[in-house]
Parts: sequence; structure tokens; C-alpha cells
Amino acid sequence: MKKGRITGFSVFAWVVLILFSVWTVFPFFWGAITSFKSPGEQYTTTFLPLVQFRPSTYAWQVVLGQAEGERTRQGLRNSILISSLSSLLVLLLGSLAGYALTRFRFHRWKNKDIASWILSNRMFPPIAVAIPFFLIMRTLKLLDTLPAVIMAHTVYNLPLAIWLMMDFFRELPEEVEEAALIDGCSSFQAFFRIALPLSLPGIVAVYILCFIFSWNEFLFVVTLSYRKTMTMPVIIAGTLTVRGLDFWKVSALSLLAITPPVVLAALTSRFLIRGLTLGAIKE
Amino acid sequence: MRKEATKFGFLLPGLLYLMAMAVFPLIWSLTLSFHRWKAATAAPRVFVGIENFLNIFSRDPRFWNSLRFTVLYVAIVVSVELSLGLLLAYILNERIRFRNFFRVLFLLPMAAPPIAVAFMWRMLLNPDAGIVVKILNSMGLNMVRWLTDARLTPFVLMAVDIWEWTPFMFLGLLAAMQSFPVSLYDAAQVDGASRLQIFWFVTFPLLLPIMVTLVLLRAIDAFKLFELVFGITGGGPGTSTESLSYYTYTVGFQYFDLGYACALSWVFLVIVLIMANFLLKRLRKEV
Repeated sequence: MKKGRITGFSVFAWVVLILFSVWTVFPFFWGAITSFKSPGEQYTTTFLPLVQFRPSTYAWQVVLGQAEGERTRQGLRNSILISSLSSLLVLLLGSLAGYALTRFRFHRWKNKDIASWILSNRMFPPIAVAIPFFLIMRTLKLLDTLPAVIMAHTVYNLPLAIWLMMDFFRELPEEVEEAALIDGCSSFQAFFRIALPLSLPGIVAVYILCFIFSWNEFLFVVTLSYRKTMTMPVIIAGTLTVRGLDFWKVSALSLLAITPPVVLAALTSRFLIRGLTLGAIKE
Repeated sequence: MRKEATKFGFLLPGLLYLMAMAVFPLIWSLTLSFHRWKAATAAPRVFVGIENFLNIFSRDPRFWNSLRFTVLYVAIVVSVELSLGLLLAYILNERIRFRNFFRVLFLLPMAAPPIAVAFMWRMLLNPDAGIVVKILNSMGLNMVRWLTDARLTPFVLMAVDIWEWTPFMFLGLLAAMQSFPVSLYDAAQVDGASRLQIFWFVTFPLLLPIMVTLVLLRAIDAFKLFELVFGITGGGPGTSTESLSYYTYTVGFQYFDLGYACALSWVFLVIVLIMANFLLKRLRKEV
């Protein structure tokens, strides 16, 4: 397509793109404006703030203020703690194992068999482990504690992290580490002082990816916590009462839960698709 | 040559963690699946052999219903998402302005927490006040009961899934298309091939392997459908939108029939692992 020339195809392309953009953005847009509507106006079909309805901060006062602020802040705090700590643990275990599988040769089971087995752990349905997890955590008296959810999210993200870290270490030239080994470094020193810093961009990307997945995870949290360790997704699910759904409240809470992962994903957009396709697509 | 002990020092922490938190729970769940254990009652846990599995296959219409719904769901959403994704990727692969802007924009639905997506759509589709329902009503569809008609609700859930995951297919296919050498298209163009011919005879065959991988990835993921059911329909009306995950969750965490739930989750696990096996063969790395 020559630049600036209007062809039948370019008209078709833009029509499709604009329609799909509206379809994609509309639910977010609607959630955002509904969170600024008062309860009296929550069911109205007005679109334009200031023009069609007067923005109200009622929802935000309830969600963040005296009434329910403590619960929301606790939810945000739990979400941040669980996502950041579990991702850290994933990164530690994952980079070590990923390094082992790229730099060493295993014999009894070949490297690629170990790697495939590790990745298969990513694929089983979470509900299959949710019941034993619940029983384990009950036995350990860890139900409704942060360690329980952190441990669950770590095992959920670890296979993917190992798998992606393998790519980064493979792309790293081995010579630098070999030179360091000859100079008397131990393998662990070579890893922590050379390989790890050199693959920092990849490590940050994997961390952000695991953070997003952990932040969004719902099933493990809902089965392992009931009061003190609820994360934002579970708090959203808790807005459903017998009276129905308060649109303003669920909108405000959803906005709080959606913003962090969406911003992180937008910042690392090229990496997200690589993570979601388990490394099958590299951009 | 590095020392033997060192390499296990690197590998074992991660491997042991997976053993303790994935393999052990699954084995425990397998042993529980041979027991009758209704934790809501005081009745003790008793070994019943394969009774749970016999019940699942021979006298549990709810299991078959959830399996049928899940398979239908996966088949429909994956095909629609693939077709739409292909169309969008094809369009954005042309030299179109703001390509990167669209790439980021279309990624947002997948990055949002699925349960928040579910509740946003629950709001949009609310029978009395949902904006989407109101818009559809004004188009003359006011007799249609989107979330209370058991024949329609499955398709409403599928529409939300398509909203959420079409970008996955689209961005995956676009990334693959961008990696093809331009010279390929140039040669076809010089030979006088039309736009559709180029797509059908050059792009499509090249895309086929990655399409199979993306379809497997999406199918496995869609098979585990849970949040949308939990947030939008709760499995209803009746059991018309009960997915395998949701049914297992209900048996395990609402009825506390733990032995039966473990048996269900193992049937589920075997189905998913058969699909995963095909995928793993494709993803396998030469290391």
C-alpha cells in the first residue's frame, strides 16, 4: 500500500480497526465513567461526564474512605505483597533452574525432557491442585495467610519462568562466564556476578509477567483465603450480594484492580505475547 | 568441565519446589479420588476403589453436561478468535499508521484480571440496566433474555471470551507475519499475484505451523474456563453454563464432597494433559 493513497483496502482496514477498537475499549470506558456516577445515576445510559451527567466521587469515597477503605487498602496491600513476593521467589528458583538447563548437561534424563516436564506443570488445570492445596494449607494451619497464597502463586508461575529464562541464558555468550571460571570463579559466582546481571532486561520482563499473572489469579486466592488475605480479584467477587450488583462500587474496585496489570502490560507489550505463547513467539 | 554437584545445586531448588507443590498435591488428590470423603458431614473417609470414577462416567449427567458445554465453548471461541485474529493481523501487517498504538490497545483485555472482566460484563449485560442490553433492546431485540435463557447464555459467555482473547490470536499471528522476509511478497507481487492470492498461497502456508501452536495454547487455556462462569452466570441458568472447572469447584468447595471432586479433577487433568502433550511436542526446545 503506497503511503497516503486511499484504496478500497485501506478504507476496509480502517473500518475494521475502528470497530474493533470501540468493541475493545468500550467495557473499560463504561467501567471508568460508571465509577464516577452516583448511586442514583448508576443505571442511566449517559455517556459524557460533565455534559450529560455530573461526575460524583461517591463511589470513591465509599471504596477508599471511612466505609470500606480499610478493606480496599488491605486488598491492594495483599495483592501487591503476594504478587511481588511470589514473583521474586519464582525469579530466584526459576533463573537457577533455567541456567542449569542451558549451561549444564544432564544425563539420566536429558535436558529437554526435564524442560518439557517442567512446562507441563504450567498446563494442568488449577482446580486439580486447588483441593489438595486447601487440605495441605489446612493441615499446616496456613489457611488465610499470605505464605499459602504466595506458595500457590509461585508454583503457578515457576514453570513458565524457567522456560523463558532458558531462552535468555541461551542467547548469552558463554565465553565471558568461561573466562571467569578459568580465573577461579565458582559456578555460582559466575552465575550471580556475570550471567544474571547480563540478562537483567529478560529478568525484569519475566518478573513483570509473573507479577501480572499473580495479580490476576483468582481461583487459588478464593480457595485459600476468606478474610485477611483477600486480593483485589476476590474483593471484586465479594461485591455480589443478594440485592444484586452495585454498579458504581464494582466499577471503582475493578478500575483499581485493572489499572496496575494493564499499565505494566502496556509498558512491556512485546514481552507479554511472548509469555502468553510460552515463548513460541519471540518478538 | 564443571563439577557434577554444582549443576544439581542450580537445578534442584526449582525442581524440588515443583515436586513438593505440584507433584505431591496431584498424587495426594489421586489417592483421595479412590475415597469417599464428604467433609461437610462427620462421616469418616473410606476407601471405595474406583466407585467415584464409575459414578462420573455412568451416572453423573452433570459431568457430561459440563464436558459438553466446555468442549462446545472451546470449539466455538477458538475458531472465532482465530478467524478474527487472522483478519486483524492481516490488516495490521500492511503499512498502516499507528500500528504500535493498536498493538498496545488490543492487548488490554488479556492483561486485565479475568474476574474484573467478568464483573464488568455482568454489569454491561445486566437484564434491567446493562448498557449493552439497552442498546440491543433499542435495536428491537427486547424480547431476548440474554442471561436467563439457557439456550442463549452459553453464547453470551463465548462473546465475552472472544472479547478477551481475540487479541491473543491477533498479536501472535501479527508477530509471526512480521518475521517473514519481505522479499517473499515482493517476488509474488512481481509475478502479478493479487492480494488474496499472496495471502492464500504465500502467507497462509507459512502461518500454518504457528496457527496450530496458537490454537493448542488457546484451546488448553479456554478448557480451564472458570472466572467468566463464576463472575457472569454462576453456571446458570440451571447448569447450562457450568464448565468442568466450575463444576469441580462446586463439588469440592460448595458440597465439600472431596473424594468425588478429586476424581473429577483427575478426569479433567487427563483430558488436558492429552491436549498438552501435542503442544509440548511443538514447543520442545533443543537444548
